[in-house]
Amino acid sequence: MEVLLNLLEASGIEPLAALMLVVLLVFLSFLLFADRRVRLGFRPTLRPLPGFALLDGFVGQAVEAGRTLHVSMGTKGIGGASTADTMAGLMALERLAEQAVATGLKLVVTVSDPSLLPVAQDTLRRAYERRGYPQGYDPEHVRYIAPNAIAYATGVMGVLEREDVVANAMIGGFGDEFLLMGENGARKGVQQIGGASSPETLPFVYVSMDEALLGEEIYAGGAYLSSKPSHLGSLLAQDWLRSAIILAIILGVLIRTFIL
Amino acid sequence: MKRVLPAAIAMAAGFLVLVDFFFDNLYLNALGVTLINWVVIIAAFALILGFLNILTFHLRKIFQRQEGWPYSIALLVVAGTVLFGGLTSAQGYRAPLVRTVFDYVQTPLQASLFSLLAFYIASAGYRAFRARNFETFLLVVACLVVLVGQAPLARYLWEQLPALKDWVLEVPSTAGARGIVIGVALGSLATGVRVLVGFDRPYSE
Repeated sequence: MEVLLNLLEASGIEPLAALMLVVLLVFLSFLLFADRRVRLGFRPTLRPLPGFALLDGFVGQAVEAGRTLHVSMGTKGIGGASTADTMAGLMALERLAEQAVATGLKLVVTVSDPSLLPVAQDTLRRAYERRGYPQGYDPEHVRYIAPNAIAYATGVMGVLEREDVVANAMIGGFGDEFLLMGENGARKGVQQIGGASSPETLPFVYVSMDEALLGEEIYAGGAYLSSKPSHLGSLLAQDWLRSAIILAIILGVLIRTFIL
Repeated sequence: MKRVLPAAIAMAAGFLVLVDFFFDNLYLNALGVTLINWVVIIAAFALILGFLNILTFHLRKIFQRQEGWPYSIALLVVAGTVLFGGLTSAQGYRAPLVRTVFDYVQTPLQASLFSLLAFYIASAGYRAFRARNFETFLLVVACLVVLVGQAPLARYLWEQLPALKDWVLEVPSTAGARGIVIGVALGSLATGVRVLVGFDRPYSE
């Protein structure tokens, strides 16, 4: 052990950072292996997530009702600790945008962090380009409301109130302000799907949404909505690493209890 | 080229910052700090884009007399006032005019809106905590134990109630939250690694 610590010190890496590096490398190898398996034809069985099933029907519902679909990208942006949550929201937006372009539906997308504005606009633009209809893209379909979470929530409440919204998807990084928007939508009778990763926000998601994506479920959008091989492989790799962590916890408890 | 170049730049930048995080090296640190500073500068430009987005949206709303257009005028007037106050003063965002708008308009409005959260929680809880199945029944029981257990009168109802409340918070609740946190960490790791190795390219087609 001492030799290992000396070796780490000599290479300029802290022990905790070394552990994180090991986890990263293990996950990377799992991911590459799982991705290869999926590309060779293996299809993992996915447990049903009603949130994604409902999300897939949102556009049809909005088109049928001739009303608007609102997508909230959360109050966090790109470049911070919640980047992964924001990416999960973008994945849902990509899917909804593709369906919306195919059916001629107008999406109203709102963002709170300015770093997300060009990315969300680009996601929408690409959806139009893929369908061969780039002239249909209007950058104002993505609206920057405010950088402050409460101010953003107020803006979204205004959108839900005034813009004849029939369905509302809120997936991304959120805090307590989630309930202000979610409850407003619920009172208006809007069909809602919400997803967040913060344990403090999850109760608000659970109580105000018709279907909730809780914790890590929000990251599974690519696998559930688009069946992307890399995302299916990623889910497999996550499961393997999770099993390894559970095993490590159990072994740690046993060793600590009976040996040390 | 249009596909490969952005991907190559993004992957290289990502790997450099990651290697800088793991290894303590003078050159790597300098490079990592430079890249992170660039992010800050780009984010500042994104703010300008955001302001232009707000401006065009609300101007269009005013000219087309869409529903709620007078509010758009109010928004643009306040935004212009704050911008003018900040740009024309040597104190920048600490200028008296900017501080006044923040202290006497934005802060009280935010506080009053946030205070509504308590009522929103009550109404959302009323809707959600109807015991429709075993899961929601457990939720209602746990909620009641914690809610009543917090009250000073709880120990007069049942001596063990505060202890039971502590147990609910410390054991099942903490265990669940940790499970969620581990899952979220794995999901974040997966998302990051997919971008790093180029499986996901949110920045290019």
